[in-house]
Amino acid sequence: MVFGLNAGAAGLSKDDLAKSVKLDSLSVPTAGELFAALNKVAKPNWQQQYRKPIPTAFTSRPQIALNLGGLIADGYIAVQAEDSQQVKNIGKDIVALAKTLGVSENVLRRGKCISDFAENNEWSALKEELEATQNEVKQAMEEQHDEELVTLVTLGGWIRGTEVVSAWISENYQPAAAKLLRQPAILAFLRGKLLALPEKAKNDPLVHDIESKLGGIEKLLSFPADKAPTLEEVKALNAAANDLVKEISTKQ
Amino acid sequence: MKRLLFLILAAFPALPLLAATDDEVAARKVVQELAGAFANDGFKLRDGNWTGAIQSKDSLLIQVNLYAGNQYWFSVGATAPAKKMLVTVFDETGKPVEVNSYQNGSTAAAGFSPESSGPYYVRIQEVEGEPASFCLIYSYK
Repeated sequence: MVFGLNAGAAGLSKDDLAKSVKLDSLSVPTAGELFAALNKVAKPNWQQQYRKPIPTAFTSRPQIALNLGGLIADGYIAVQAEDSQQVKNIGKDIVALAKTLGVSENVLRRGKCISDFAENNEWSALKEELEATQNEVKQAMEEQHDEELVTLVTLGGWIRGTEVVSAWISENYQPAAAKLLRQPAILAFLRGKLLALPEKAKNDPLVHDIESKLGGIEKLLSFPADKAPTLEEVKALNAAANDLVKEISTKQ
Repeated sequence: MKRLLFLILAAFPALPLLAATDDEVAARKVVQELAGAFANDGFKLRDGNWTGAIQSKDSLLIQVNLYAGNQYWFSVGATAPAKKMLVTVFDETGKPVEVNSYQNGSTAAAGFSPESSGPYYVRIQEVEGEPASFCLIYSYK
């Protein structure tokens, strides 16, 4: 057994990096990771980031998937706020939305666990349970041959997480927090996945509109590693993310 | 009762999105034992994983996106034909990152706290052994 510091490897070429594997389940961080990082540089009042309950009676499957991802992100916010009632409310909404996709059997079990963990203030376990619930939903989608919806769940969660963090930074600007918004590769990955969707899903009006707006967001997130975005740039990002969140959660 | 529920869930985590082979499931068990040590130190385990086959002397690379200030451990476990595994982390320019490294036969891990947010690349290598199945997972706090 060896423990030690290691930085002696030779570097990788651009070609090596371009050929790297990118996976939905590992290459895209959870909203919980972003919130944990923000907690390192600030003490946000997470309850201020709650939003009004969203509808759970959508008919468009892509819109349901996007909103499921957003609700998972809402779950992380409630866990950060250590608000057991809010966690339980969101857990119920997740199950209600999942039912409309017909993927509720295993998710129902997870929803019960979310409620039980919240009842017992098991915040650490809840963070892992939320991601497990999201993966349970994605697994069910794959089993129902709805693979295209998996990307939309991830995208919905990423948009809501980015909206929340950029909103807080807009009101409490500090460069160290603003640097957390640098996520160009995530958006490049998600946009690539959207472009690879089957024509039917790609031509869904909501998906099409979101894809057209993500290019602008990608530019706002692609600043150099050693530079913090300005307050104006953070506000622009927040406005764009907020616009998408509203569009996703508005019943069509 | 609630604790029992948690233990049951821990034993049966959400299935990965693609069906894994028996060897990949075995590799996942190996790495989950290692990652359990980090969980005891407050690290949250990501539910996703990367499994597959690796050849002797081969290396594989995955992109991850990390946040400055968080601490991360990337852990790999491989099935018995692998004798020695290695995990190395690179920044977005391809430069190796200084990490705390752990190595014990067919398991290995690399831990660090990024100074800047953005993409990083985790390389796993089978340094010694025969073709094997591997599983990579990561933890953060």
